[in-house]
Amino acid sequence: MIKTMLISGLLLCLAYAFLQRRKSRTVSVGISLISIAGIWFVLMPQHTTALADALGVGRGADLVAYFWIVISVFVMMNLQFKILGLQRDITEVSRELALRTPVRGEPGNGADPGHPQADPPALEPN
Amino acid sequence: MKNLDTVWIVIAAYNEAEVIRDVVAGVRKRFRCVVVVDDCSRDQTARGALEGGAVVLRHPMNLGQGAALQTGINWALQRGASAIVTFDADGQHRVEDVDVLIDLQAQSGADLVIGSRFLGHATDLPALRRLVLKLAARFTTYTTGVRLTDAHNGLRLFTRRAAEQIHIRQNRMAHASEIISQAASRGISIVEAPVTIVYTEYSLRKGQKLSNAFNILAELLVDRLSR
Repeated sequence: MIKTMLISGLLLCLAYAFLQRRKSRTVSVGISLISIAGIWFVLMPQHTTALADALGVGRGADLVAYFWIVISVFVMMNLQFKILGLQRDITEVSRELALRTPVRGEPGNGADPGHPQADPPALEPN
Repeated sequence: MKNLDTVWIVIAAYNEAEVIRDVVAGVRKRFRCVVVVDDCSRDQTARGALEGGAVVLRHPMNLGQGAALQTGINWALQRGASAIVTFDADGQHRVEDVDVLIDLQAQSGADLVIGSRFLGHATDLPALRRLVLKLAARFTTYTTGVRLTDAHNGLRLFTRRAAEQIHIRQNRMAHASEIISQAASRGISIVEAPVTIVYTEYSLRKGQKLSNAFNILAELLVDRLSR
């Protein structure tokens, strides 16, 4: 039962990776490899122990935990970069809004009348 | 001497209602074209800037000083600026030092002139801040190859050519290092000009926290990784 659930979940991950292949080939390939490895180890759990022994980790469960940590860090960094990208988009939109809605200062009030304000701001076409 | 009517002064301001009117009015006595980018202040900064006589652009949300400067630079470029000077909103710069930058640019032909408080004067500069600023300058020299005495001075002059080539992506305080880095990688010539920074109780209270140095390092690191 648990094997069916895990394999179903990992197959969904594979499907997601396939859908993402045009957005980011690196992410798509990474998710695919991890999902295939996951399916393999669910079907052949004894292989995790053999691999752990080969890598000097000791137990298969520990090896899986270490991989999990590495993958989590990778996912967090990927999300951080996506947030950065969104921030840049928000900045550009905010900047465009600000540039399209200037307000002109009143002459006087400390400003030298000999230096009139710059031309009245006009909306700039894109 | 340049035609001062095509020199734009760009002031990024966030919650500077206390001083912005006087700062803008002081600059406007010498320069015709002043734009204040209000970075979504919660106080009356925009009103003060308007009363001082500036064109005011307002960000719909708080983005940071770097983003505000780039907005002001875009505005100035659209208006045909021949040179753009960034000027802090907290009153720590002197208007006469803008002339020092303009004259040095004319003499040297450099496309980016950075103010240096260590070539000029810094009145009442706290010792710890002096140390952090010196370390920051060393760090910038190490990472960009450009030898500077003061990398985090808000008083800078970009020629139009430099302003068109440099695009500030660091929204917050790391923009100072980023400007140097971009200039160096694009082959833009840089010189330093001696200027005076007047530290007041207000400017020290409003200025960067020293702990921001760590944030700046983290922002630069993340930006480098994300490329």
